[in-house]
Amino acid sequence: MYNESLISTLSLIMVITSVTAVEARNLRTAAFAYAAQALLICALILSFAVGNPALKWWALVAFFTKAVITPWLLLAYVRRTSEREVQAIIGFGPSVVVAFVILISFYKLTHTYAQFLAPTPLAMHGVFRTNLAVALTVFVVGLYAILSRRDAIKTVIGLCLLENAVHLSLVSLAPTLRETALFGIATEVVITVYLLLYIIQGIYQKFGSTDTYKLSELHW
Amino acid sequence: MRDQLASILPALVFIVPAVTGIIAYFLGRASITARNALVVLGALATAALGVGMLYQMLASNAVLTTWGEELRVDGLSMVLVLIISLIGLVAVIYSLRYMRHETAIHWRDVTEQRLNTFYCLLMLFIATMLWGVVTNNVIMLYVAVEATTIASGLLVAFYWDRRGLEAGYKYLMLLTTGVTFALFGCVLLYAAAGPHLSGVNALLITSIRGVAHLFPRSMVVVISALLIVGFGTKAGIAPFHPWLPDAHAEAPSPVSALLSGVMIKMAIYALVRTVTMFYPTWPAVATFLVGLGAFTMVLGILMAIVQTDIKRLLAYSSVSQMGYILMAFGIGTYLGFYGGIFHLINHAIYKALLFLAAGAIMYATGIRSIHDLGGLGRKMPITSACFFVGALAISGFPPFNGFMSKVTIFLAAADQRLWWAAAIAIGTGVLTLVVMVHAAYAIFWGQPRTDRLQLAQVREVPASIWIPMAVLAAMCLILGVYPQLLFPLLDRAAHFMTPAAGAMTALGH
Repeated sequence: MYNESLISTLSLIMVITSVTAVEARNLRTAAFAYAAQALLICALILSFAVGNPALKWWALVAFFTKAVITPWLLLAYVRRTSEREVQAIIGFGPSVVVAFVILISFYKLTHTYAQFLAPTPLAMHGVFRTNLAVALTVFVVGLYAILSRRDAIKTVIGLCLLENAVHLSLVSLAPTLRETALFGIATEVVITVYLLLYIIQGIYQKFGSTDTYKLSELHW
Repeated sequence: MRDQLASILPALVFIVPAVTGIIAYFLGRASITARNALVVLGALATAALGVGMLYQMLASNAVLTTWGEELRVDGLSMVLVLIISLIGLVAVIYSLRYMRHETAIHWRDVTEQRLNTFYCLLMLFIATMLWGVVTNNVIMLYVAVEATTIASGLLVAFYWDRRGLEAGYKYLMLLTTGVTFALFGCVLLYAAAGPHLSGVNALLITSIRGVAHLFPRSMVVVISALLIVGFGTKAGIAPFHPWLPDAHAEAPSPVSALLSGVMIKMAIYALVRTVTMFYPTWPAVATFLVGLGAFTMVLGILMAIVQTDIKRLLAYSSVSQMGYILMAFGIGTYLGFYGGIFHLINHAIYKALLFLAAGAIMYATGIRSIHDLGGLGRKMPITSACFFVGALAISGFPPFNGFMSKVTIFLAAADQRLWWAAAIAIGTGVLTLVVMVHAAYAIFWGQPRTDRLQLAQVREVPASIWIPMAVLAAMCLILGVYPQLLFPLLDRAAHFMTPAAGAMTALGH
């Protein structure tokens, strides 16, 4: 019933956009990469809407929150702070290797031990396993961004990636349940992103930079 | 399952403070007196609704439900509703005088505008916490937990100085990241329950609880891990606690009282609500929680020993006390739940008291470092007495309330032959006594070691600040001398949890 090759392709491109969003030195580029990923997620939700029309509403809301408002907020605050990212702890080369290794291992994991994470017979299909592998990869890449990036705005992008990963796994694990759409819409984190950026702007004014290493007033 | 009583109160209890907060924001532009009166009235009404729910529950001996089973208040939720609404009321009254003073220092000419925001967010914070504990919907549980972070994020960074901004950034970033793990856990819970339940039932915690034994074991392991990391981060469980001392120390004192006294309790409530459903199928998760609790309590108190900032010391002691509560819930017997919930109530009271007393010290002297303080006892007798009551209560010293709940937890551990857990808990209790009494001694007796403190100019804080503290101190003593006052409520709360843990009796044997 689902167009499996389309879904797999879309979700595999998501990995590329997340790595770009994390690795781009220029924060504007990173914001655009994030917007591209948001569009992919909307397309994925829509492609699942064949079996569950309620998902169309989620795709619509996700389009506004993820693909319009969040990148717009990111760009607006990048303009008010600094466009150039503070040098990261781990550079480009190692990061790409890490992301690649993570993807391969999760792909192996979800295709060998599917019952470990897939609660339903439907979720045992190849396409759902690929999606799950992608979701886990994006999740870990987001976590990696939060841990290894010194630039506060980059950590916010990492947070958005975490959220997208959870949403991708939600739509892949329970595409047929009607409540899935409600679940997805209720768990958008756009307000948190706004508050974080607002505080980061304050940090930029008081500390003169968005480098989280300079946040060292509080020890222990 | 016991009877259900349809009631609108569980909905009103969180709608009233939310609406109050929003109106207060706009009313403050017209009249400051009217805003303050409205906020106090709103907090009073919320507390009254909480007490009304308690009356309904005790009179009918039923679970209160609203909108089908969307909202559901059993004994455990009731305990949380009461402490959130009552500590919320105390914090609001305390804020009236305290925040005017503190905000004037940090925001000078825009004090009143900032206070409009403060009261709006404070009421929304209380509202979101109440929403989290009355909801029976697994998504709304996550949304409410995230909403408390959103509502309190700007409160933590309220002073907008370097320390406040750093604490605010860490708070929002670490908590949101952590709670995303819980969201992942909720997604898996929902997906796993989906095939066994129909329609909206797949979202109700009570119905998921009914089918939890059908989940594959591997799934249960993954879900438990995600939920423990997620809600554990919010609850300040080690090793996910680093946000806690920063946020609790840098927030304005009434907000610290709410964060430490109430918010982390709401998070542990979310943890217990969800994870306990796996106790029967996977008893090892319970043992793991006992171990995690022991680790948390030891780490928290060891970190508290080296603190010189009074608010950071109190924050680390909160980490330690959360360890007790987690351990008690991990024991999983009736006695364990009874002791855990009792300790949860007691810690809410005396930790709020201690943070308010620390706020009073800052109000009077402007100093937070223990080394710079000393000899305040003669100048501030009421604050001093309140702080000592709180310090002795948190150390588990009879006749205060902390003694009763800690003894219950020791007995629950010993009853299950978890001797190592009981020993760690008792050892931590002794260390807590040392840390807290030493801090109280250094601040109120003795002499200041530096000349930052101008002792001659120190005055006792005004009545609107010490009365809330005195009320909490009195509660510490009353609950310590008459612990049976809470029995009807605690018995219900512990019983509602115990059936799920029926298979737990073999633990530790």
